[in-house]
Amino acid sequence: MALLKLDEAELKSRRAFYEIDDADLERLASLRPFAEKWGDSFVEDFYKLLLSHPETRAFLTDPELVRRLKKLQANYFLGLFTGRLDMAYVQDRLRVGMAHERIGLPPKFYIGAYRRYLQLVHDRLASEVPPNEARAAFSSILKMVSFDKSLAIDTYIAANLETLGRHQQAIRELSTPVIRVHESVLLLPLVGAVDSVRAQQIMESVLTRVVEEQARVVIIDIAGVPVVDTKVADNLIKTTAAVSLLGAKTILTGISAQIARTIVQLGVDISSMHTQAKLADGIELALSLAGKSITKRA
Amino acid sequence: MLAIPILKLGRVLLVNVNVELDDEVATRLQNDVLTAIERSEAEGVVIDISGLEVVDSYVARILAETGQMTKLMGTRAVVVGMRPEVAATLTRMGYVMGGVRTALNLEEGLLLLGYKLQRV
Amino acid sequence: MGEEILSREEMPIAREDDVVLVRRRVRAIAAEQKLDSFATAAVTTATSELTRNVWVHGGGGSAVVEQIRSAEGRVGLRVTFRDRGPGIADIERVLRGGYSTAKSMGLGLSGSRRLVDELTIDSEVGVGTIVTFVKWRAF
Repeated sequence: MALLKLDEAELKSRRAFYEIDDADLERLASLRPFAEKWGDSFVEDFYKLLLSHPETRAFLTDPELVRRLKKLQANYFLGLFTGRLDMAYVQDRLRVGMAHERIGLPPKFYIGAYRRYLQLVHDRLASEVPPNEARAAFSSILKMVSFDKSLAIDTYIAANLETLGRHQQAIRELSTPVIRVHESVLLLPLVGAVDSVRAQQIMESVLTRVVEEQARVVIIDIAGVPVVDTKVADNLIKTTAAVSLLGAKTILTGISAQIARTIVQLGVDISSMHTQAKLADGIELALSLAGKSITKRA
Repeated sequence: MLAIPILKLGRVLLVNVNVELDDEVATRLQNDVLTAIERSEAEGVVIDISGLEVVDSYVARILAETGQMTKLMGTRAVVVGMRPEVAATLTRMGYVMGGVRTALNLEEGLLLLGYKLQRV
Repeated sequence: MGEEILSREEMPIAREDDVVLVRRRVRAIAAEQKLDSFATAAVTTATSELTRNVWVHGGGGSAVVEQIRSAEGRVGLRVTFRDRGPGIADIERVLRGGYSTAKSMGLGLSGSRRLVDELTIDSEVGVGTIVTFVKWRAF
């Protein structure tokens, strides 16, 4: 899972791409009085917009929340004019982005908010500051706001990846069904590729079910696993070891000629494991290990 | 410090570990079990660890050693009730518990020791 | 790098009882973070091993338990064990089980390493040892 890495190197690279130089930062620092004078009215104006729009109004029903958000916004706005652009600044911006993502505000509104701010700043600069200065000031502010927007988008993407990850976890769990074949005998038909994350989850599922059902034997059928390499073999051995720690036995079935060849050639020692080529044979063995047998009706 | 109770079930000793073990308690338990075997001519010992959420390398070693020591005294020990998380953690750590057998529960443990529960 | 510390607690490791106390506190925090039972057992066991190392081999010290959040928003548990003990001359050798006298310490370290996501060891002979591990919450 590729989660974003925001470190010094990334910061340097992004700053360069957005063409934010020291002159910009100095200019922004010199504009601090302007920001302090007009910051609060910008925030008020901005929230008027949010409250006038039905979709965004829905997020702002709690007056206490609105009060806190306004304060956050005011601080955020002033933050543009510190004349600093370091990791602390980045962390701070990411936190603000995450706070908004957490309350469920869609990116379209968050980004739209920036537009509103820029509009307000632009109009106010035009009336407060001589034209040349206003142009330069707006350019620096635009660079900084664009930089912030990129961070906001990054936090939304990271949050979505996290949700995706959680869903993937649920999917993985569904794809490892442990079936109760008989009293004391569990069967796990493995289908699909087994990566290290899935292998861990398989072991945990098997162990949990063995204890839950007090099953004496677990059959793991690997006929549906496309590739059995050293990693997969090691994971199966680990699972078997853990199951035997519980006091139960494991039978590995579905071992094709191909897999048998791979395992022996890899030099993996599975002498401690019960194995069978066919699932049916595995079930018979399991039942006998559990003290039962299948007999023909007279 | 309360000692962990050791119960007698015929010729089998039952130890129910339902307190968190620190090194001192674990060592004391080992001593208590060996003393009890000496005094009672027990044929088997069942150590139930279903109450343990954590078994670290020290406790695992104590359990394995207890198994080895009881064997030297002509008795057999079985550890039962291990939790799935404990089995997973010990296996991941690479710890192999040699010297003591394990079973899923008390009934299975008794079976291993050669006893079967039967109604009269 | 770039992490946020959500909470921080320091606990002494000065008595035998402290091994259990530190373990219990880490378990409680793992529960607060909603780690699953397997991950909780992993951090609690690693904590037990490393706290014991501080107590038995390091002559006592401290454990600092922090709840952290990465820059990407991932929640995790970081525990740092410090002692002013003899220090470890050859960390790799200890991890391999090379010193017979320090075998249990090596087992504790190498075992713990397999239970967590990151484990770092900083040690200087005659000064002391710092062992830190991080366990991130799975999604």
